[in-house]
Amino acid sequence: MNYELMIETFPKLLVGLNITIQLVSISLFVGFCFAIGLALLRLSNNLFLNFFAKTYVFYFRGTPLLVQIFLIYYGIAQFEFIRESFVWSFFKEPYWCAILALTLNTCAYSSEIIRGGIQSVSFGQIESAKSTGMSGFLLYRRIILPIAFRQALPAYGNEMILMVKATSLVSTITIMDITGIARLIIAKTFSPVEIFIVAGLIYLTINFIVTRLVNFCEIKLTPYLRRAN
Amino acid sequence: MTNALQIKNLKKSFGNLEVIKDLSLTAKKGEVICIIGTSGSGKSTLLRCVNLLETPDSGEVYVNGELIKMKKDKNGKLIPVEQNQVDRIRSKLSMVFQDFNLWSHMTVLQNVIEAPIHVQNIDKNIARKNGYQLLEKVGIAEKADQYPSNLSGGQQQRAAIARALAMNPDVMLFDEPTSSLDPELVGEVLKVMQTLAEEGRTMIIVTHEMGFAKGVSSKVIFLDQGRIEEEETPDKFFNNPQSLRLKRFLAANL
Repeated sequence: MNYELMIETFPKLLVGLNITIQLVSISLFVGFCFAIGLALLRLSNNLFLNFFAKTYVFYFRGTPLLVQIFLIYYGIAQFEFIRESFVWSFFKEPYWCAILALTLNTCAYSSEIIRGGIQSVSFGQIESAKSTGMSGFLLYRRIILPIAFRQALPAYGNEMILMVKATSLVSTITIMDITGIARLIIAKTFSPVEIFIVAGLIYLTINFIVTRLVNFCEIKLTPYLRRAN
Repeated sequence: MTNALQIKNLKKSFGNLEVIKDLSLTAKKGEVICIIGTSGSGKSTLLRCVNLLETPDSGEVYVNGELIKMKKDKNGKLIPVEQNQVDRIRSKLSMVFQDFNLWSHMTVLQNVIEAPIHVQNIDKNIARKNGYQLLEKVGIAEKADQYPSNLSGGQQQRAAIARALAMNPDVMLFDEPTSSLDPELVGEVLKVMQTLAEEGRTMIIVTHEMGFAKGVSSKVIFLDQGRIEEEETPDKFFNNPQSLRLKRFLAANL
């Protein structure tokens, strides 16, 4: 094992950390916001909206993220009217294609996590809120969603970790994230084991921090699930 | 004087089962009405129809003289005309549930001040001060910052009563408030309810506690198969029951 190469590689890979963190945080944030809406559509009584949400989730959970990235990056460029319109300045950048694919993908998974959380809120707690005069948006904002998010937190932590790892796929469309830089260095040095060990350790560190953050949120937000001191 | 609560010709069925059959009931301001009856006689459904947690099939409900406006939807089911009116009336009809139904993500005090702040738009500091006083009144002020899951059943139900009181309601509805409690915890909840009755609160109470019904109510109602079988002062109700069904019920339950 070439330890010198590993130490040398480490700062080079850290350059890609910036891109990785951007991809994860933007797609998680936007994906989560849309996921709330999608979960509500999925729970609505309107058959059309429900069908739309179901179909969306079915496709984005049922196909590999890599395929989705390729379809967006290579697929969209096929359409001439897109290449001629203003959105082309957006879709010609692999960075934005990657963000779009990651966002659409995490939105599908997150919406199911949120739906599970909403459905776990007991009827009793909803009824007692209604009986004090809450309804509609207020009922969701103050009672249903806060309880649902707390219930969904462990599962959503899982999704965050999966997303950190999923960003490594964007290196296939020329983005120089941690994995992208690692592959470039490997092409020059022919030492895949050393380089990928360093890359793996960086992902491990990111996910260690994510795990601690989720854990911290759980302790802060759901003290009632633990014993009183 | 307007009636605090008036129910006219209320009917409710679940599928083929007629749970409430053309029932009318009036509660004057300050009256405490206890509703007793066998399980399945429609007691809880009646209470839940009053604040529209169940929508009645037909009939009218007046709160403080104001009719809750209902209309038929395209399937012929009754629905409220405006949700705003329902919300406003519900906030004046506090309900205490059998299973407490405190909001698990909030502390006891937060549970109590939630609706005053967000439904009635009362100033936070005033609501907090008022909420703390109510917790003192029901005897759990020291639990204000605890979460419901850390409280005993009796304490949770007293917190729920404080939450209901915080709305300063015109009528309080109690749906078997002691039925989920261990026998030794029943007393503390009934004591709080007795204090409220003595203060002149209008209360409709579905209960199995005969001694309590005898002691605090201005009127006791025996509900049987969705109908009011007997409606009397507690003295006559318990000492001189008229109908055979009530006689049997009392013989079995006293």
